[in-house]
Parts: sequence; structure tokens; C-alpha cells
Amino acid sequence: MGFIKLVVFGFILLSVVYLSLAVYSRSVRREKLEDAWDAEKPDSITRADFVAKGVNDYNAGLRPKLLLLVYVVPAIFVAVVVYLTNTN
Amino acid sequence: MHRFRIIIRLVAAAILGLLLHYVLPQHDVVQITQADTRRTDFGGFNRWFYAQADSGSVELANRDILYIFADKKKTALLGFIARDATEPMVYRNEDTGWIWPPYFKFDSSNLHAQAASQARRDVNTEGGNWAIITHYGWRIPFLSIFPNAVDIEPTDGPNPRIIPWFNIIFFGLLLFAFGMVRAMWRQFRERSVDPMLDSAGDQYDEFQAGVAEKRSGISKWFDTWRSRSK
Repeated sequence: MGFIKLVVFGFILLSVVYLSLAVYSRSVRREKLEDAWDAEKPDSITRADFVAKGVNDYNAGLRPKLLLLVYVVPAIFVAVVVYLTNTN
Repeated sequence: MHRFRIIIRLVAAAILGLLLHYVLPQHDVVQITQADTRRTDFGGFNRWFYAQADSGSVELANRDILYIFADKKKTALLGFIARDATEPMVYRNEDTGWIWPPYFKFDSSNLHAQAASQARRDVNTEGGNWAIITHYGWRIPFLSIFPNAVDIEPTDGPNPRIIPWFNIIFFGLLLFAFGMVRAMWRQFRERSVDPMLDSAGDQYDEFQAGVAEKRSGISKWFDTWRSRSK
């Protein structure tokens, strides 16, 4: 029973962490894109289009997937602690 | 208000500090003298400081608990005056199970066997029967509260070099998490809250400007009633 509780509550907690990190990371990227456009002010593309394209590229890239490590690393950590604690 | 905020922060820091001091692993250098079982009837308060029944066993109002009795080498006085004396110390030896604190300890019976074997080692042989016990929790005699032993590691003598790797990494990560939360909060404020407040402020300004204009209209009308001789 304890194990199920750990999995359920751990999943909820890590989901909160994951969602906050995902939102934060995208927000930082968007800000950088806006700053990049503001620095050059190219005529070929509007600010909104430039940012939308950049955010699309970001979503398709590797970094949002790397954030899924938020789930993987604690799971590995728990497994390692279980192993280390229970072997003598 | 400022003082109130300081007090709240101090209390929060004290609670967090006590919690971490209770939960994080600590290392004692000990000579184990005995490993024994004792039936324990919990009180209303000190029940909080015991774990649950062994993983896989049923939970009753009282139960047998494994205890490890030891002579503990006194830690350095005030952190730097080394002392050779020992003091008696008793550890409980309970499964922590899956939840809290997250040591995921299920091998209390094995640890009991290890403690018994360590207690049998001769004091006078080379290296003696010194061991390092990793534990968490406090010993509070007034409430019959015992720290929970997590690991026993035989060592050569009474002065082993102990590096608390886990705590070092833990506080490093804690600092990192704190910085991360702060950065996220700032980004959230800068990108979401401030623009909202700005636009709300703008609307408020516009509203006030409108009121001022209207008012000037009404007061203009009032002015037509006033005597012009003033």
C-alpha cells in the first residue's frame, strides 16, 4: 500500500514540478526571442511571427523532452536509495 | 509589519531547520554492546517519533521494537574540542517503509543481526569493535524517543574520517532548488503579473481621466449657476 501511495503522490508532486519547469523554460525562450527581434528589427518578418516561429522550433526541439528527466531522475534516485539502504 | 515579517521568517526557518536536523542522516562512532527487542506501548505524543510496523506486517496498538544499545563516542565539544569519553546511546531499529522519512529501509531484521554480530566482536582485538552507525532522529529521554539506525559499518578505530556526502549533495541541491524557484517566480512576475498590473493601472488611469473630464463637465455646468461677479 505504501508503495502505491508513494507512486501516486510522487507522480502528482513531480507533475507540478514538471509543469512549472516547462512553463518557465518556454517563457525564458520567448523572452529571448522577443529580445532578439527587438535588437535587429528585421523588415522581413513581424515580431509576432518571429516569436511564434521560434517557440514552435523550441517545442519541436530536444529541450522540452529533456524536462521529462524530472520524472526519471527521482525514480532512479529512489531505486538507488532502496538498493543502498537494504544491502549490507 | 516589518517586525512581524521577520518573526514569521525566523519561525519558518527554525521549523525547517529542526525538520532537516531530525530527518537528515547523521553518523555516530559507537561500540555496540547489545541488540535487543522490547515491547513498546506508544504514548499519544511519542507515537509520532516511531515508524509503523514492519513492512508487510499488520499495524497494532503496540509491538516489539528492535533496539541497539551502544557506547557512543562523544562528538567534539562545540565542534572542535575532541573528547575521548563515551556516553550510552540507544537506537531503535525500525523499517521506514515507502513514505516517510524516505530512507526506504526494509531490512531492520538484517540490521539487527548485523548489530548482534558487531556486539560480539572483541573489544581487545585489533581495531576493536568500533562501528559507524548512520541514523536519523533524536534521543529524548524525557519522552522515550530514540533515533532510528539505518546502517552499521564496521571501522578500524575510534577516529574514522567521516565525510557526509549525502548531506553535502542534499544542501547543494536545496540551494539550487531555492535559486530555481526564485528565478521562476521572478520570471512569472515579470511576464505575467506585472503586465496585468500595468494594464490594470492603465485602465485605472483612463477611468480617472474620464472621471476628471466628466467632473469638469459637471462643474462647468455648476459654474453656470454661480454668481459671475466673483
